[in-house]
Amino acid sequence: MTITRRDVLLGATATAALVPLAARAQTSEVVIGVIYPFSGGSAQQGVDAQKAYETALEVINKDTDFDLPLAKGEGLPGLGGAKVRLVFADHQADPQKGRAEAERLITQEKVSAIIGTYQSAVAVTVSQICERYQVPFVSADNSSPSLHRRGLKYYFRAAPHDEMYSAAMFDFFDAMKKKGTKIETLSLFHEDTIFGTDSGNAQAKIAGERGYKIVTDIKYRANSPSLSAEVQQLKSANADVLMPSSYTTDGILLVKTMAELGYKPNAIVAQDAGFSEKALYDAVGDKLEGVISRGTFSLDLAQKRPMVGKINDMFKAKSGKDFNDLTSRQFMGLIILADAISRAKSTDGEKIRDALAATDIPGEQTIMPWKRVKFDEMGQNNDADPVLLQYIGGKFVTIFPPQAAIAEAVWPMK
Amino acid sequence: MGLLYGLIAVGLALIFGLMDVTNFAHGEFLMIAMYLSFFLFAFFAIDPLLSAPLVAAALFIFGAVIYLLIVRFAMRAKANAGMVQIFTTFGLAIVMRGLAQYFFTPDYRSIPQSWLGGKTISIAGIFLPEPQLVGALVSIAAFAALYFFIHRTDFGRALEATREDPGAVALVGIDKNRVFAFGWGLGAALVGLAGAIMASFFYIYPDVGASFALIAYVTVALGGFGSVFGAFAGGIIVGLVEATTALVLPPALKSVGIYAVYLLVVFIRPRGLFGSI
Amino acid sequence: MDKDFAARRRRDLIIAAALAAIAALTPLFVKDVVVQNILILTLMYAGLSQSWNILSGYCGQISLGHALYFGLGAYTTELLFTKFGVLPWFGMLAGGVVSALIAMGLGYPFFRLRGHYFVIATIVIAEIGLLLFHNWEWAGAAMGITIPIRGDSWLKFQFLRTKLPYFYFALALCCLAWFVTWWLENSKWGFWWRAVKDNPDAAESLGVDVFNSKMGAAAVSAFLVAVGGSFYAQFVSYIDPESVMGFQFSLLMALPAVLGGIGTLWGPVLGAAILIPLTELTRFKFGGSGRGVDLIVYGTLIVLISLALPRGLLSLFSRPKKTGATR
Repeated sequence: MTITRRDVLLGATATAALVPLAARAQTSEVVIGVIYPFSGGSAQQGVDAQKAYETALEVINKDTDFDLPLAKGEGLPGLGGAKVRLVFADHQADPQKGRAEAERLITQEKVSAIIGTYQSAVAVTVSQICERYQVPFVSADNSSPSLHRRGLKYYFRAAPHDEMYSAAMFDFFDAMKKKGTKIETLSLFHEDTIFGTDSGNAQAKIAGERGYKIVTDIKYRANSPSLSAEVQQLKSANADVLMPSSYTTDGILLVKTMAELGYKPNAIVAQDAGFSEKALYDAVGDKLEGVISRGTFSLDLAQKRPMVGKINDMFKAKSGKDFNDLTSRQFMGLIILADAISRAKSTDGEKIRDALAATDIPGEQTIMPWKRVKFDEMGQNNDADPVLLQYIGGKFVTIFPPQAAIAEAVWPMK
Repeated sequence: MGLLYGLIAVGLALIFGLMDVTNFAHGEFLMIAMYLSFFLFAFFAIDPLLSAPLVAAALFIFGAVIYLLIVRFAMRAKANAGMVQIFTTFGLAIVMRGLAQYFFTPDYRSIPQSWLGGKTISIAGIFLPEPQLVGALVSIAAFAALYFFIHRTDFGRALEATREDPGAVALVGIDKNRVFAFGWGLGAALVGLAGAIMASFFYIYPDVGASFALIAYVTVALGGFGSVFGAFAGGIIVGLVEATTALVLPPALKSVGIYAVYLLVVFIRPRGLFGSI
Repeated sequence: MDKDFAARRRRDLIIAAALAAIAALTPLFVKDVVVQNILILTLMYAGLSQSWNILSGYCGQISLGHALYFGLGAYTTELLFTKFGVLPWFGMLAGGVVSALIAMGLGYPFFRLRGHYFVIATIVIAEIGLLLFHNWEWAGAAMGITIPIRGDSWLKFQFLRTKLPYFYFALALCCLAWFVTWWLENSKWGFWWRAVKDNPDAAESLGVDVFNSKMGAAAVSAFLVAVGGSFYAQFVSYIDPESVMGFQFSLLMALPAVLGGIGTLWGPVLGAAILIPLTELTRFKFGGSGRGVDLIVYGTLIVLISLALPRGLLSLFSRPKKTGATR
């Protein structure tokens, strides 16, 4: 329908001139609430998320020629080209504040849907409030499996959860074993938050089922001033694979402490979080050559899907960083949500919910290595295949699963 | 690690312990020092070890200024002096965190390559990470210097006298504010030293001070207020207790050991191990 | 003097009744849930701070570990509810009793400590509680407890959309804490506490049972704070260790009293009425910026108020009486 104009400037002027004429009595603006920690220990994640959402907003509201839902044309076609506006709110990693902010966004800012939240504990209360007000909540980057199992009607998650991630890691171990690599013992290392506990439990469960031996299972206090006692234990256990579930701060400290205490495992397979953050690699990247992290996103997908690279450039212009596992999920989350609102042709919560439930976007129309986006009755997308990435020569390379891989895993790590 | 806690605590021992002023912004002083040493590294490629004296000097001025601008007035309060100090310095801590976030962004920073970072000396199978080793040496030196300073110089005596009886000191012609401003400066300078060494192996972000502050308070109180040697001993005990607790209990609970030892000590000796106040 | 005192107490009671009546009517005019939310939090913190004030203000035992009792109240209620089906109303009572008992158990060794040693001991004990709950699998550990939502019910004290029941409960809690304080002020305990605070040694030699009066203060204070904690759990309908037992609660309970006027009857109410709306508004206004402006504003205000008015905001109103005494 829409003629793609190369000359963006000219196109923009032309449409800008036409919009007033075309504007109907309909909604001219759709408001979406974005709830993140903008102050406190994880403020950086909030600030990065803000940039990711602004990038998504640009794709939605402006005319771009990506093969993504809503990219072409301006605004939401289902609502006569209505523009999306984002309202950001700070939950300071406190479930009570998240709840209060969600309520404020719904009642005062009249948002049609809410997206968030980084911390799983906050997602619990925010999604409860959304359920009460019948406003859809898209959990863009929370990976705790307990979230979707509460049977909420208005909860949606397009990205994988920790059990899916952990399963992928063990699939990878199985494949490596077939090739003759020795992987028998594992060391788990996870923080004492919802994220760490969930991840640790999932890994322990799958390891038991598939016959791997866990030699140490260390739960540590998040943001510890020191991890030397913990690393000492990891070192004496000396498992074949170290599996950390840590945020950036503890991740940096872990790697530094390991170097200081002279502990070098054969392989590190990390549960994302800190291990997908640029800050961590800026700090200790030289000690992490060959580290493997799970993810839902990998920049080398740009080789197969050029738009991934272009959108990444847009994001980089705003934030100075490449997309990572979190920011790519945030970007995609908003696109999926906006697409549903457009298809609902309404800002009514229940209609958007139904549209979200009916979502079926093929993997090629995302920036992720997913099969497709389709929610089950719990609001979980089970076709979001996780990938494993290896940090080699200063960047991430996809090594698993085979259909997405562009290189063989380097094992043991250097 | 224990001596490093000691090093962080020594500045607090001076402010909190010797001058009897509650300083809830101690962790934030540490944070500022770490940022300072990070920026000196990032812009001028000065290794944290070299910049330590610079950072300490800067923090000296900072500490003295904070005292003259804010804390002086908090101490003047006739009513609820303790509470006023607690909440003034607590408010100050929040402001400092906010300012750090405003100017430095909440990004995690870290000095990738330094003379100390990541190097380890191995003696008979025991690994001694260099930063901790240097931290320990600096810590011992700082304690010795402070000990000498408090007990052997006129100024040290003036400081102690001022705390005990500001009125009488004024009669002798000592300016209380000058003495205390110097004391605060010195306390902050010691934190500056700690911050510079910490920066060479720890990550830096606006809230970094919080994880260390409580341990520093416990360290000082464990050793006993008013005793430099106490804070030193406290630091060593905290380090040892932390290491041993991690062996017995799940590591997530290792701080519980430190806290329990503190409670145990003060129940037996309500003024800490070597406290005089 | 006695006449004056009695008159002042009568006047306080009348003012309190009038304020409570006005507060009770506000929901008729305030329909906005966000404002209601702020009102609820304000009332809750006023009540909490009032309770904290009993031990720390009147009795002079500065505790920065009251988050322990807050968390115990929340956890006792929700564990009893989710694991044994005990209604929150009983859980609330149980939480209060558990907290009061623990406060007395801790008081036994704690009250030997003075000054900073005591303050740090209270911080540390709350921190131990936090760590234990963080690692206690049966109590949900870090996952916390999600309170199952079954629809509006007074029996289970949960309501989906309306906030009014929460509002009235918070109001009742605030009034209760105020009334207990008012009543205690003029009781035998009240006199003892003042004596203990002013000069513990002298008080003891005059035959005041210092130890027991401190124990009483700790128990009452912990009980009320625990009831507040269990209310908070029902209100938020999700708890995890950090969000009910974190250090920030200990501070948030102390701040209103300190800002309003520590050891006074009206200080905590006044402090909460100013502080809580201010906190919420700075977050609404500046929170989305990601640059910490809300922290700067909030922190600066705390510094300024503590410095300018060491006796708290209340001292602004009672100047004619007090100036002579203080300056």
